[in-house]
Amino acid sequence: MAGSMPKRVKWRKSQKGTLKGNATRGNKVSYGEFGLQALQPGRVNARHIEAGRVAASHFLQREGRVYIRVFPHRPITAKPLEVRMGTGKGEVSYWTSLVKPGTVLFEVGGVSEDLAKACLARIAMKMPVRCRFLRRGHEL
Amino acid sequence: MQVANVKGEKRSAGGRHANERLRRRGMLPAVIYGHGEAPQSVAVSRHDFEIALHALQHVIALEVDGAKQQYLVKDVQYDHLHKDPIHIDLMRVDANERVRVSVALELKGTPAGAALGGQITQLLTDLHIECLLIAIPETLRVDIAHLGLNQSVHVRELSLPEGVKALHSPEELICICRLPKAAVETVATATGEGAAAEPEVIGRVAKDKGDEAAQ
Repeated sequence: MAGSMPKRVKWRKSQKGTLKGNATRGNKVSYGEFGLQALQPGRVNARHIEAGRVAASHFLQREGRVYIRVFPHRPITAKPLEVRMGTGKGEVSYWTSLVKPGTVLFEVGGVSEDLAKACLARIAMKMPVRCRFLRRGHEL
Repeated sequence: MQVANVKGEKRSAGGRHANERLRRRGMLPAVIYGHGEAPQSVAVSRHDFEIALHALQHVIALEVDGAKQQYLVKDVQYDHLHKDPIHIDLMRVDANERVRVSVALELKGTPAGAALGGQITQLLTDLHIECLLIAIPETLRVDIAHLGLNQSVHVRELSLPEGVKALHSPEELICICRLPKAAVETVATATGEGAAAEPEVIGRVAKDKGDEAAQ
């Protein structure tokens, strides 16, 4: 299994659940100066996050700082190929994070806006959801 | 202090659907409260309000049924993308009343440490201040041209306008100029051969041991 996953879990497998509504938390740029915000609901799995992280670190060349704001907490199970239905739930195949519209996925700090824009655009290409560039700004 | 003129109207219908209809008409639901009087529901022009918001104006002159009065923008509620305002809180205030507001901090100049490869990290973007309503600054400028490498600006070093009091701790850091660190990800990733194939299940080991003991 590529990418990160929880160290300890209470239950090995989880039910599918639904993904409704918008993000009410984690929808602001909190650590860096610029962020990448999801505009669609979706599952961002550990491989997507890892691909985004690698793309950012290659592009920034050890400059600035990258913050990952999502973590794959949800196990997704799958049955092996050519197996008949039944005989219980499949084994955990990969780990994913459930992303609602508005969730900030990545943040970048310590770099110029142009560089951050280019970096986050590269990360956005690796994401399974549509994203937009976000700037930390003053709110009244 | 500049005051933005915003057109508004009285609002009687409340609730989600009525407010959605209001937003489709280019208006924003708002509430006026303060000074011990009963709260009043109004609708304000979104276009006018966004101009005031863009200009970082804390006080607006709201015109409702021909009567114009000044209000402090106490809170703005945004949509889930933090893009569009969806509701506004307005507070009744007197011109000579001391109010608590949040003002944007603007860094000015290129730090001297930048020539040595230093980068500015801004930790505080807004400053909570207390001042007279008529003396609310639009932004507070922080001169960082003198900052050398590994030097910082604290709240105590700010030169605030007269009558303006910062509500932060004087020791709080505003910005620092330092050499960029190697890119560090905040979330450590468990990749490679050393990574566990499956996470530990809480309570499972204890249960298994219990089963063995029973047998």
